[in-house]
Amino acid sequence: MRIIAAYNKAVRLRHIGHLDIVRAMGRALRRSGLPVAYSQGFNPHILITFASALSTGFAGTAEVMDVTLTEDVAVEEFLAAMNRALPEDMQLSQAKIVTDVKMPALMALMAAADYEIRLTDASQAAVLAEKLDAFMQREHISAIRKTKSGEKECDIRPLIHAIRIEGDTVFACLSQREGDSCKPDMLMKALFDFAGMESGRTMVTRHTLYGEKNGALTPIMEL
Amino acid sequence: MTNMNDKIEAMLEKVQKASRYTGGEMNTAIKAWKDAELHFAFCFPDTYEVAMSHLGMKILYGLINDQPYSLCERVCMPWIDMKELMENEDVPLFSLESRTPLCDFEVVGFTLQYEMSYTNILAMLKLGRIPLGREERGENDPIVVAGGPCAFNPEPISDFIDAFMIGDGEEVMLELNEVIRDGRREGASRAEILRRLAHLRGVYVPSLYEVDYNEDGTIAAHRPLCEDAPEKVLRCIVTDMDSAYYPTSIPVPYTEIIHDRIMLEIMRGCTRGCRFCQAGILYRPVRERSLERLVYLAKELEKNTGYEEISLSSLSSGDYSCLPELIRALMKELEKQRVKISLPSLRLDSVLKDSLEETQKTKKTSLTFAPEAGSQRLRDIINKGVTEADLMEKVSDAFAGGWSSIKLYFMIGLPMENEEDLDGIADLAQKTIAQYFALPKVQRAKGLRVVCSASSFVPKPFTPFQWAPQDTRDTLMEKQSHLRDKMKGIKGVTFNYHESGLSFLEACVSRGDRRIGRVIRRAFEKGCYLDGWTELFSYDKWLEAFAEEGLDPAFYAHRERGRDEVLPWDFVDCGITKQFLWHEKEKAERGEITKDCRLGCNGCGMQRMKGVCSFCG
Repeated sequence: MRIIAAYNKAVRLRHIGHLDIVRAMGRALRRSGLPVAYSQGFNPHILITFASALSTGFAGTAEVMDVTLTEDVAVEEFLAAMNRALPEDMQLSQAKIVTDVKMPALMALMAAADYEIRLTDASQAAVLAEKLDAFMQREHISAIRKTKSGEKECDIRPLIHAIRIEGDTVFACLSQREGDSCKPDMLMKALFDFAGMESGRTMVTRHTLYGEKNGALTPIMEL
Repeated sequence: MTNMNDKIEAMLEKVQKASRYTGGEMNTAIKAWKDAELHFAFCFPDTYEVAMSHLGMKILYGLINDQPYSLCERVCMPWIDMKELMENEDVPLFSLESRTPLCDFEVVGFTLQYEMSYTNILAMLKLGRIPLGREERGENDPIVVAGGPCAFNPEPISDFIDAFMIGDGEEVMLELNEVIRDGRREGASRAEILRRLAHLRGVYVPSLYEVDYNEDGTIAAHRPLCEDAPEKVLRCIVTDMDSAYYPTSIPVPYTEIIHDRIMLEIMRGCTRGCRFCQAGILYRPVRERSLERLVYLAKELEKNTGYEEISLSSLSSGDYSCLPELIRALMKELEKQRVKISLPSLRLDSVLKDSLEETQKTKKTSLTFAPEAGSQRLRDIINKGVTEADLMEKVSDAFAGGWSSIKLYFMIGLPMENEEDLDGIADLAQKTIAQYFALPKVQRAKGLRVVCSASSFVPKPFTPFQWAPQDTRDTLMEKQSHLRDKMKGIKGVTFNYHESGLSFLEACVSRGDRRIGRVIRRAFEKGCYLDGWTELFSYDKWLEAFAEEGLDPAFYAHRERGRDEVLPWDFVDCGITKQFLWHEKEKAERGEITKDCRLGCNGCGMQRMKGVCSFCG
């Protein structure tokens, strides 16, 4: 049985990297006493996958994972058992049994994500807010994407699905697809450059993760 | 407090491995600050990764948090980048759980695992806003205590510690906390509380003693200054390991540490009597946990941690009376959770085959053996009764069993060592490689890796070699160079050795007296800390510190002591008599071995404490 679940990674844990979170989640599954499925072979591992790696330094309120169990378990029982076994900074908020056998891996479904980027220096946010309309009216916004082989220039304009600035925070919905994503730091660098400023300190929190359904962005948990 | 937290958050963005300082791990922060009367800061004087791999901290963390009146939080040594930021931003050293500054705890406890971590103690006290010298502390400063194996010679850091706990900590830790708690409730003064602590078995309060020196620099007397202070401090011994406290839940770190697994202490103590080994003396007598108790602990620990590996920990796990049965019972209990069982450094002459077969079913790690010396002559001198045949048999069994990674530990600079003994090390490495190739190709596991590690011998207090001089640094470096050349020709072997300057200083501090405290403080003021890390170790600054304090390091490291000399640690009764140690020293000089005391009591001194040792005559 496949079950997908949303969990948070609180601000206290933002410096923990994705691989460490994966291992922590695996250990929580072992503590939970749930009938977890293991892979075959010489070095069996827990069958758990994640929609998208959350960058080190970021917090997240609705990260999504996919767990395979060997027996059917009710959603309530799954949530209770996991939350008992998890530290308070990593708690599951909802879970859903996957009924469509053919549903692909979460990573393949990933399309976009909501980001909350809070600027430590609120005055910087005010300047950016003034320039936001002009920034978004451009046809192309150039940014540098870091790849395995080095750096590549790309156009992030089509990757910004929504953006607004309220007070000291930038709220943006950004494309998150394998090989074609706009990371928050890429957006912020482009914004600061456009405003003629040095990049300021930010605290980033990721919120809803989206897949696509009938051409529209839909939260992965609702797919 | 929010301002402090904001500062810390800003700092965390700038440092390497910020997760060292953030806490929030599973099974931590079990209690709120306000729910405890006594707040204990467990300070490990090294980085988070080292601290979280240490078994002692896990035991005491659980023990202190388990008591309704107390709370325990962890504090580790910050890395260079964080330390500098803390100093510049004026942020005091804080605990992982609640970010409370160190100076706000009632009791601050350090574990003494390694002499070269002592400057870190000073660094942590300073960052924690606690006066370094015990005489400088006032009524509102925390009481600073220390325990662990190095506490058996407490003198080198007696300037900085209010009270030492010597021996097994499980019981005396609670007694100490209760005396402090009760004292504070009554409004007793600091001095009064320390006097009361001196009445506890195993507790040494340095302020209640004075040391007189002879003209030649040796000790004339170690005098108690009042009736509360006993002339001899008798170490603590927990006799029943089954009823002794052991945690069933331990913190599970997020990040990679050195030993990231459940450590199950299957027994304490060792009966082999290797003459260089301080732990073998200090942890006597051998006391095992029963199979039933261990299976119960393993089950609970696995349930509460979800760990993938469990290590059967002790000084010589191969000597546990029913090791194959224990491994079988554990595998049966933990099979469903697919937990790997590992055995740390195994003695080569214990009955291993069955145990190795049992652990075969789970994934293989590397196997470590410690022959310690390259020749039978020298092995007999140090009483490591292991033969070449033993080593080859075990190595062959290991290779045949599918292991391909072997580590061999040796020491150089042992007493009475000659060139043939050294060459024996290279010889054993070569023969180990030959065992691998002697197997038919199809049986050999891929990736042959034999690591031969030679550390420099440091004579330790409470061993038969406590009177011996250490080899000079030049001699050690010559020996390392000689071995390096010999090993170069052997294909498949990697040869590692340790920085000799560090070993020299370790020898000075481990057998040091109170005056060494001034050297440690001086070295710290010159900028020494994290000495165990090559990036920071500054040999020159230490030598300068010695010179500026008017002390000669050779007096501590290179001098041969006489039988009647008063040694700085003589006032501690570790259970084993000085006569026994001297007798062993003389046997070493004759190349005579002493048999395992399970085969017959050797009269080490434990027999004076009736009923403590099950093998006593």
